[in-house]
Amino acid sequence: MSPSSVVCVVFLVFGVAVELACCVGVLVMRDAHDKLHYIGPAAILGPIAIAVAIVLRESLSQAGVKAIITAVLLIVANPVLTHATGRALYIRRRDHLETDRESS
Amino acid sequence: MNEWLIAAGVLLVGLVPCGIVMMRGTIVEALVALQMAGVVQTVTFMLLAEGYHRAPFFDLALALALLALAGGLVFARMLERWV
Repeated sequence: MSPSSVVCVVFLVFGVAVELACCVGVLVMRDAHDKLHYIGPAAILGPIAIAVAIVLRESLSQAGVKAIITAVLLIVANPVLTHATGRALYIRRRDHLETDRESS
Repeated sequence: MNEWLIAAGVLLVGLVPCGIVMMRGTIVEALVALQMAGVVQTVTFMLLAEGYHRAPFFDLALALALLALAGGLVFARMLERWV
């Protein structure tokens, strides 16, 4: 087994472990806000590790480039989705978007 | 059966906690679990594409990442207004 393959497997295991740990975090946390925090590592660390593993195996071929694009898309989309979900939760709890200072 | 397919199979276990939260949590918690399931499925598609050595299969992961973003935004918008 070449050193490149070993590094590839290490990244692969790390990515899968991060994803599974975040799934467990979503399950065990109490509040939706707490659960929301666990999407971050799952959408950033995990895809980066998997994409690096794929690029190490395939180099910058069609598969490698598509893996990078997919990982970048997940990284960009995650903050947008997290913000939208947090905003929805805030509005549902307070019934409006303005802060107390703005409304008074 | 290579290491990529094994990793994809292991990753599918992560959908179980997401499913439990979707069924038992509040509606916003279910949305969070849905977003997490979208990320897990996207990464699983990447692993399956690499495991089967089919570069076009990566398009599935790319499409799912885009659609999960759009779907999540629509659900979030709906939850803050109507449900």
